[in-house]
Amino acid sequence: MNNDLSKTNSETTINRIGNLLNEYRGVPLDENFLKKIEEICLDLRADSTQKDTEYSEVSKDLKERRKSERRSKDKIIDVIGVGLCLLDRELKITWVNQTLCDWLHLKESPLGKHCHDVYNCDEIGTGSCPAASVFSGKAGSIIETWIESENRDKMCVQHVAIPIRNGEENINSVLILTINSTESEKTVHKLLLLQKLGEAMQGTLHLDKLLHLILTCVTSGYAFGFNRAMLFLVNKEHNVLNGKLAVGPSSHEEANQIWKELSDKYSSLKDIFEELDFSHNIDTSFNTMVKLMVYSLSDTREVVIFCAKEKTPIIIKDAVNDPRVTPEFRKALGVNEFVCVPLIAKNETIGVIVADNIYTAEPISSDHVSMLTMFVNQAAMAIENAETYKRLEDKINQLTETQQRLISSERLAAIGSMSSYVAHEIRNPLVTIGGFAKTLSRFTFTDSKIKTNIDIIIEEVKRLETILKNITDFGKPSTPEKIDTQISEIMESTCMLMENYFQEKNINVHKEFETDEPEIAVDPIQIKQVFLNILMNAVEAMPDGGNLDIKIRSGIESIEIEIVDNGEGISKEVLKNIFNPFFTTKPNGTGAGLAISLKIIEDHGGNVDVKSMPGKGTTMLLTLPVT
Amino acid sequence: MKTILLVEDDKNQRLLYEQELKRVGYKVVTASDGKEALEKIQEQLPDVVVMDINMPKMDGIEAMGRILSKNKAVPVIINTAYSNYKDSFMSWMADAYVVKSSDLSELKDKIKEVLANKAKDF
Repeated sequence: MNNDLSKTNSETTINRIGNLLNEYRGVPLDENFLKKIEEICLDLRADSTQKDTEYSEVSKDLKERRKSERRSKDKIIDVIGVGLCLLDRELKITWVNQTLCDWLHLKESPLGKHCHDVYNCDEIGTGSCPAASVFSGKAGSIIETWIESENRDKMCVQHVAIPIRNGEENINSVLILTINSTESEKTVHKLLLLQKLGEAMQGTLHLDKLLHLILTCVTSGYAFGFNRAMLFLVNKEHNVLNGKLAVGPSSHEEANQIWKELSDKYSSLKDIFEELDFSHNIDTSFNTMVKLMVYSLSDTREVVIFCAKEKTPIIIKDAVNDPRVTPEFRKALGVNEFVCVPLIAKNETIGVIVADNIYTAEPISSDHVSMLTMFVNQAAMAIENAETYKRLEDKINQLTETQQRLISSERLAAIGSMSSYVAHEIRNPLVTIGGFAKTLSRFTFTDSKIKTNIDIIIEEVKRLETILKNITDFGKPSTPEKIDTQISEIMESTCMLMENYFQEKNINVHKEFETDEPEIAVDPIQIKQVFLNILMNAVEAMPDGGNLDIKIRSGIESIEIEIVDNGEGISKEVLKNIFNPFFTTKPNGTGAGLAISLKIIEDHGGNVDVKSMPGKGTTMLLTLPVT
Repeated sequence: MKTILLVEDDKNQRLLYEQELKRVGYKVVTASDGKEALEKIQEQLPDVVVMDINMPKMDGIEAMGRILSKNKAVPVIINTAYSNYKDSFMSWMADAYVVKSSDLSELKDKIKEVLANKAKDF
């Protein structure tokens, strides 16, 4: 309201009355005068009523404004997300804000209650009670506690006591500031968790256990809390990404049941490590499905392959409309939002972890993914370690086996040389005994018994000599039993015998046999043995498959058998020795194969020729004379 | 009559071979080791040498090497209890290799064969 205006009004009224009095000076008061006075009064009243209403409106407005100011202050107090509470000297609550009431689930007004009843605090009476120490002039201390919020989320809070002074010295009340530190606490917790998980993983060298541990961490509510996690590993040999393991419920029902169990079972990280049952969840249909998933590493249309190639995590928010996700993969997962994180060890992708929240449908935040990425990097190192360890273990096992075989073969050799020595030493006197018995048998005796007895000596010596021969000539081919045979026939039956082996090892066999090849006198069993030895060697020289050319040509004097492989070839050093008995480059070889082969071919009057280029292949040329 | 130099360290065996080969119709000169064999060859060049390998003083292989270095034309038959010398490179120089047996027919056959080959060469 304008004060000048009201001043003007009252001045006008006074002027009006003055003018009227001047006008009626010396004039007796009459009805007219009274009427005019009444008019002025009426005007004045009207004016004052108007002013009254105006004033009352002003004060109403003021009140409203104060109220709204207070409300917004309250709002600010609530909005800043800090719990506030005033305590008097008796530690009784004199004021509290709504935020704190919400956090502490206070249904009734806490005013007048003792603080420890409201805060559920055990520090009462101890030196660490923050309010009490502030009242006694010490610094306000902080206590960190976990409380459970209304929607059952755990919340970490810190209480700070602030003295409120009246004048210079007296502290007449304490303000307890309650701060929600859940987020920072969570970050600290996650960093600690990463460290602990890292330690646990580095300490797990058993690969299967490790993979299970990693996925359990990804899915455990205590760690990363994804609903499901799948692990794919790169298989370099086959150039594919292979599903290895999946952890997580296969259905909503299972999810509910498992989470109920788990929340009781794993309440801390230690529990996860100690009680992790590695057989748990293994036989789920989800795991089986993932184990059957195989993607070629060259097929970058698949999001997991893309992730592996790009070495960067990929969050898929809308699988249906995301061109990076193939419909097959989306259908297999049955989820619209998921994350792929590459497992990178020594700058190389060794696998991919895929995680989703299929049951809770909780959105995957980039914070969550960056934590997961940090974890997965450690996991990759651990997997790399475990794989290296496994390779090492395999090698050691192989070494031990070889050593064992070596020891036993050495022992055998010792026994062999011993028995051979004994056999030869016995053979000499046997020759003398038998030989003289024979000379005696040529004499004529009057007593026929003498002749019979000499013959017994001869027979028995012969028997002993046969035994000795079998011992000392052990492993040598017996004399060939030759029959007329076509060499190509023997080769055909040898190839038939090895057909499955060729297929298994990816060997393409090209045969080029002459149709009118003559029959020659050979021991088919021995020749077959030779072919078997040579073909086996050829296949073993081609561990990744290859071509095997077998040619049989007949000339006037001889038949040539040429066996050509495109395998690893033989180095000059080895080539010098391949026909030496007991020389071998194979872990399980005896070294007898080629030596015996050569002996057999030579016994047949033929010979063997070998040409080899390391890295290119080997050509074996056998020649057998036409008899 | 063909002369055979028989080199054998075992006394009884030496006697056996001597008797048997004489019976078949050869003249037999004996030596009990490689050294003695070389001396005997100096005295009279045999038509064939039958030689054991395992002997004291000088073994059969060495003795054979020395004989052959002087007299390439003398055929040598190795007659031993050890069949494994058959694979030894040195023994390949011999004209024949016989594994000892109480049945002397193999040795006799080889002697006949070697002498026949020698006759052919001349």
